[in-house]
Amino acid sequence: MRRTKWFAISFLAALGVTLAGCGQVSAGSAAQAAETTDDQGSKAVYRTLDEIKSDGTVNIGVFSDKNPFGYVDENGAYQGYDVYFAERIGQDLGVKINYVSTEAANRVEYLETGKVDIVLANFTVTKERAEKVDFALPYMNVALGVVSPDSRVITDLSEITADDEVIVISGTTAETYLTENNPEIKLQKYDTYANAKNAIENGNGVAWANDNTEVIAFALQNPGYTVGIPSLGSQDTIAPAVSKGNTTLLDWINDEIRALADEQFFHKDYEATLVDTYGLDYEESLVLEGGGAAATAAP
Amino acid sequence: MDAAVLHEYLPLYAKAALLTIRLGLLGVLLSILTGLFCAAVQYLKIPLLRIIVRVYIELSRNTPLLIQLFFIYYGLPKIGIRTDPAVCGVAGLTFLGGSYMAEAFRSGLEAIPPIQEESALSLGMTRIQAAVHVILPQALSVSVPAFVANVIFLLKETSVFSAVSLMDLMFTAKDLIGLYYDTTEALFLLVVFYLLMLLPVSILGSIVEKKVRYAGFGT
Amino acid sequence: MQALGLDVLFKGKNFLRLLGGLGVALKISLISVALSIPLGILLGILMTRKNRVLRAILRLYLETLRIMPQMVLLFLVFFGTTRALGWDLDGETASVIVFTLWGTAEMSDLVRGALISIPKHQFESAEALGLTKAQMHLYIILPQAVRRLVPLSINLITRMIKTTSLVLMIGVVEVIKVAQQIIEANRMVSPNGAFGMYLTVFLLYFISCFPISLLAGKLEKSFRE
Repeated sequence: MRRTKWFAISFLAALGVTLAGCGQVSAGSAAQAAETTDDQGSKAVYRTLDEIKSDGTVNIGVFSDKNPFGYVDENGAYQGYDVYFAERIGQDLGVKINYVSTEAANRVEYLETGKVDIVLANFTVTKERAEKVDFALPYMNVALGVVSPDSRVITDLSEITADDEVIVISGTTAETYLTENNPEIKLQKYDTYANAKNAIENGNGVAWANDNTEVIAFALQNPGYTVGIPSLGSQDTIAPAVSKGNTTLLDWINDEIRALADEQFFHKDYEATLVDTYGLDYEESLVLEGGGAAATAAP
Repeated sequence: MDAAVLHEYLPLYAKAALLTIRLGLLGVLLSILTGLFCAAVQYLKIPLLRIIVRVYIELSRNTPLLIQLFFIYYGLPKIGIRTDPAVCGVAGLTFLGGSYMAEAFRSGLEAIPPIQEESALSLGMTRIQAAVHVILPQALSVSVPAFVANVIFLLKETSVFSAVSLMDLMFTAKDLIGLYYDTTEALFLLVVFYLLMLLPVSILGSIVEKKVRYAGFGT
Repeated sequence: MQALGLDVLFKGKNFLRLLGGLGVALKISLISVALSIPLGILLGILMTRKNRVLRAILRLYLETLRIMPQMVLLFLVFFGTTRALGWDLDGETASVIVFTLWGTAEMSDLVRGALISIPKHQFESAEALGLTKAQMHLYIILPQAVRRLVPLSINLITRMIKTTSLVLMIGVVEVIKVAQQIIEANRMVSPNGAFGMYLTVFLLYFISCFPISLLAGKLEKSFRE
């Protein structure tokens, strides 16, 4: 009997402490949020441009399973359109690069907690995200797209029945868009690109909704799939992002993007990393130089 | 922490908890059946089957559930075996749990002195009768602590279901963080729901095994 | 080979990279075990003390860590600490912290179990011989407890190794993540890569854990005899 009583007491106490611990987490984060807004820079989560330079290493969050934008080749080296740009940033900052493998759903979190200095992971600029992180000038155009197997090509969202499930990746704009605009569509969510692509190949869902750049690449690389809906939702852009308030780093990246326009850097990037997949057809529609039109309109 | 956000998330977590409980309990149930079968095969020393069971137990106990699920869900379709996420989750949990349950039952069986069976046989019982009426009731009661520990272990293991697109508690929290960035609220509810789900099981377990000390669960 | 997607394994440094990923997983688990064992022994001995408050606190620690899935603990430490305390932890450090906290809890329970399984007369005889508390533990109790503990703590190593499969969820590039990268980079040339790579990782985990389990089983048997 006494043992049981002790168990019960300790369990209740455990619950109490855990809850108190959580309360503290929230209090802490609130305090920290207040700190970063009131007292910018002194005890922020991010590292300023000078701190990165004196440290000698910049932490850049990229995808490691999103071919051809960010992936790892058979020799263990990061490759892709985003990585090509990251390499240039490292070179011009004069520091080494530490690549941090990120998933779609934790990109904001990584910046908010300062685990990376820059996210260069096909990060679409949205109003909601811009409240949490600071986007630099964009370097690519993007919209949403839907790819499906040739056996049943989905050309309109209305073709998706109540029994069908659409594959999306957790934390992407496709997930947000379908959740808000088509709540009747059943979503099958994956946490990584590698898993989502295996799932569409294995026939676990009727279609895969993602950035149209990525689904077009997938259909081009994998015979038997067609992008039935090449453009969905608004026309957006992809940009580097830094932690909220990290103006020194943000300004540096913006200057860098403007300066790179002179050498048509992102065209070179496209030709080095994307041309094998897309051919030359998509070059002008995808690539943005010097921040494109958005250079004048604030992102 | 924002109460409105918590309120908004609550139904999603409740739904996820239900999914975890539904698939978790089904997995536990099938694990028990698999475990009983394997323990019986080993106890009765059925040739060939015994070796297969041994190999299965070693493979299952020496690999993590996550990679078992990855292999079943993403690997097997390449050779024509496709499962939907829920089936895969339950299959993976059963593959893992079957061996743990088998070991729990086996250690229970081994704890019964041979004289018990010998006496039963000398009373004119068949081996099967001896097993059903004499050995099993005793063995099962010895297995209780390990059994309870295994149930908790298996329910905890469901937290990797997110890897095969099942919207369990863990994935719900991750997904909400990725969608709306309210990390504190999402993690808070995650902890609360796991406590609500596992505390009763744990307390129930400790009452059941009040008299029998347990050691080395879920190895 | 092609049909089973095993061909990618031998492309470039792929196999070495997988082994490197396994190395990361093993490193995290071994460091955590090395920290957990002494801490667990300490807590386990404290748990057998008569002091009720102390026992309740330790019990609380043990049950809390045991009841939470390790994945939840990983998320709490990895994302929670930065928000609450401003620590900037990388994934590997966060993993070692979580596994050490958890391993210490498991270990302390094993130690407690081993200590209370030692018959009371052993303590009493030691006292009767005039040994001090420290001498009693060092010469009489611990040597007996250790015999029972060794197989169980070796088992803890395999549990630790298996649990490191979760660290890919907090961004650590370990063996499963490397496998995913390889599948992704070779999707065009080797569409069945998912089968071959996940099978390989499955076997790598088995090869890492099976000998340790065998050893633990052998020791356990020799203890029983």
